[in-house]
Amino acid sequence: MDLQLIAMQLLSGAVLGAVLVMTALGFTIIFGMLGVVNFAHGALFMVGAYAGVAVAMQTGSFWWALLVAPIAVGAIGLLIERLLIRPLYSRPPDDPILLTFGLGYVLVEGVRIVFGNDGIPFSTPSALVGVVNLGIGYFPIYRLFVIGVVAFILLLLWLGLEKTRFGLIVRAGARDPQIMRVLGVDMRRLWFLVFGLGIGLTALGGVLAAPMRNVSPEMGTIVLAEAFVVTVIGGLGSIAGAVVAGILVGLVVSMTSLFAPEMATISMFALMALVLLIRPQGLFGRAGV
Amino acid sequence: MSTTPLLAVENVSKRFNGFVALEGISATFGGNRVTAVIGPNGAGKSTFFNVLSGAIRPSTGRILFEGRDLTAVPQHEFAHYGIARSYQITTIFPQLSVHENVRVSGQAFRSRYNIWCNRDLDRALIDKADAALLAVGLHGKRDRIAKFLSHGEQRALEIAIALVADPKLLLLDEPTAGMGPEETRDMVALIERLAAARTILLVEHKMKMILGLSDRVLVLHHGRLIADGTPAEIQSDSEVRRIYLGQSHGAA
Amino acid sequence: MTIQPIDSTSSAKRPRLAIDGLMRTASAWRMPLTVLVLCTLPWVLPSKALAVNVLIYGTFAVGYNLLFGYTGLLSFGHAAFFGGGAYLTGMSIVHFGFAWYTALSTGILGALLLSLVMGVLSIRTRGIYFSMVTLALAQLAYYTALQASSWTGGENGLRGFTVSKIDVLSLQIDFLNPLHKYYVVLLFTALALWLVSRVLKSSFGAVIEAIRENEVRARACGYNVERTKLLSFVLSGGICGLAGGLSALHLAIVPLDTLHYHTSGLVVMMTLLGGMGSFFGPFVGALAFLVMEDVLSLWTSHWQLFVGAIFILFVLFLPKGIWGTIMGLGDR
Repeated sequence: MDLQLIAMQLLSGAVLGAVLVMTALGFTIIFGMLGVVNFAHGALFMVGAYAGVAVAMQTGSFWWALLVAPIAVGAIGLLIERLLIRPLYSRPPDDPILLTFGLGYVLVEGVRIVFGNDGIPFSTPSALVGVVNLGIGYFPIYRLFVIGVVAFILLLLWLGLEKTRFGLIVRAGARDPQIMRVLGVDMRRLWFLVFGLGIGLTALGGVLAAPMRNVSPEMGTIVLAEAFVVTVIGGLGSIAGAVVAGILVGLVVSMTSLFAPEMATISMFALMALVLLIRPQGLFGRAGV
Repeated sequence: MSTTPLLAVENVSKRFNGFVALEGISATFGGNRVTAVIGPNGAGKSTFFNVLSGAIRPSTGRILFEGRDLTAVPQHEFAHYGIARSYQITTIFPQLSVHENVRVSGQAFRSRYNIWCNRDLDRALIDKADAALLAVGLHGKRDRIAKFLSHGEQRALEIAIALVADPKLLLLDEPTAGMGPEETRDMVALIERLAAARTILLVEHKMKMILGLSDRVLVLHHGRLIADGTPAEIQSDSEVRRIYLGQSHGAA
Repeated sequence: MTIQPIDSTSSAKRPRLAIDGLMRTASAWRMPLTVLVLCTLPWVLPSKALAVNVLIYGTFAVGYNLLFGYTGLLSFGHAAFFGGGAYLTGMSIVHFGFAWYTALSTGILGALLLSLVMGVLSIRTRGIYFSMVTLALAQLAYYTALQASSWTGGENGLRGFTVSKIDVLSLQIDFLNPLHKYYVVLLFTALALWLVSRVLKSSFGAVIEAIRENEVRARACGYNVERTKLLSFVLSGGICGLAGGLSALHLAIVPLDTLHYHTSGLVVMMTLLGGMGSFFGPFVGALAFLVMEDVLSLWTSHWQLFVGAIFILFVLFLPKGIWGTIMGLGDR
């Protein structure tokens, strides 16, 4: 096998990994901070993609879609938290799972009513069309752009969580909500904002994925499964865990598709099964409780 | 003691990611005595109890029960050796009836995976559960759903759940936590009755109760065993006084 | 020990209400009563095919409820067992020419094995990860079936195994007659219901309920929580495999969607709508769901919107489901 081909495949694996990180990011934040497993994640990702399509069609600009769609869907996320998730904080942890599962159904069917059952083609923005020579081979510019956006978002999140007072409170609250309540911090307000942020990022993932995936009402199912695989492999519900796990999954899928293309999707789930067998708590999770 | 003690803790330490929760604890227990484990918050009392009940494995050291090494034994087997415990936060089966709470606990020693035998056929077990409820004074509420009991009654139910197994060692983690004076008095009386036939270890904060109830007191501080003696000896121990007088809370 | 009970009202018996006694009798005779009701179903429902579906999905939901309602484990991967049972039953006939009963047994056996593997992997994870892991592992089954198209028919589903006659001893039953088909399927449904009822009455049933109620306490009492959960998982998987095998025989085709996430979700919805943690609940849920689908889909192609919304309302306001709420009316 040609070394250059392998190098190329590794790079595209890393890019795929970045896409997966973006796919799982909103889910990870909500899971890590609130402990809510959002089964509507895939559906909201899909809604984000459709919102992007709608904005792009109205304004004729991908850039507006990239800005407006996440904010709009994030606002819907705030509404969801306030109306549907908040009543469940005092209930067993399975209840938010069940509720968001039902919500996913409603969202998928809602999009079908508005946009129809068929997929919608979403063309790559003209400024990002084409390929670029990276020395080892040609690479789609759009994918490199996605890496850039993901890196930028991760940097912003890192700064926000590590360097601001808000971030400090969020991190402490994720560790011990009881203490925070004793200290007089309004956790509900915090969770409200974090949930909205998570859904906004999910929608951003959807808009970014729109030129790469077929935008259809069904696209969320695989997204949901991918987010779970990344979270389970990472095992921490943390952003760092999601980044490492996402890139690892990307590399494995990419290398598998080099040798056995039909096994590419399967390899992602097989990797998860393998990790569970060896480290049931995930790569970065601690054993025990 | 020349014979094998019921429980021997040998040089037990526990570290969590570099944080030392327990350091070199050695002690033996037995002889149907009541031992209280005290110490300020974060002294390692809970970790100590978790190690003794198998919930946490010690980093180093051994746990011997009747001479058998339980250090590597999975937690669920501890009950089968004769160790039962209650938790600081009430840990019962909330939506089962009071009687079923106790019955299902006792069933662990009789039938665990059998799908062919009916759960209500074991008459001896049903009577045993009734006896345990009688012992803690809950027999009158045997058909109530556990979550509708008062806090004090739930704490008593948890002791009945532990009791039905006829444990040789009973570990009680703050049995009177959150109780009013009257409920506390009932609980103390109950522990005194139970102590007649088994060895009891308990974690408590209520000093007056500890002094009246226990034959022996262990004092933990920063994960170390700093004193071990009769309540009178502990009361006059200068280091214990220093720790407790230095910190106002916990010594009420 | 001779200790006076603290509570002096202990010996006073609570007066039993008449309805209480009635419920007890009904509960003791629940198996024959259920079968009796199910015998009349083909004449009550608008179509015989719908009635067969109620039996199949009722069995699926009752098997699922053993895990969800009674053991307290929310699996989102039971499509793997339903679909696995269906595919293996169908494949046994298509590729090996097995008789229907050998094929169905193969389906159940396969579902048992599959649930053992999935159970070992998913029960090792911490609490809330369980739902994610089961979903992802079921997706693994889905994509495997999609890729192994020479065995499974891939996207087109598995076809070509119409069972037209069923021989029971020397009796030949016309399986193409919907009414005959209904009663054959009912036989297996009754068997599954009996098995679940058996499990719930047993000592093992008491243990899984205890684990659902409080895992920490169950472990401290001396139960091997992981092994008990695994056994419950496998039992549940086997029953769902039977339901899948029956569905394959009924439809004479196994669509790829049988393994899809939606099939896992379907059984979650049926179980919750009907009432998890009650014996009849899931069956009532399957009936309600399928009738609702039947009625709504005549009226709009977007019936899933209403199903999803109704499901959300149930999670928020009626978590005990239809049957659980009706049963709860008698209490206090």
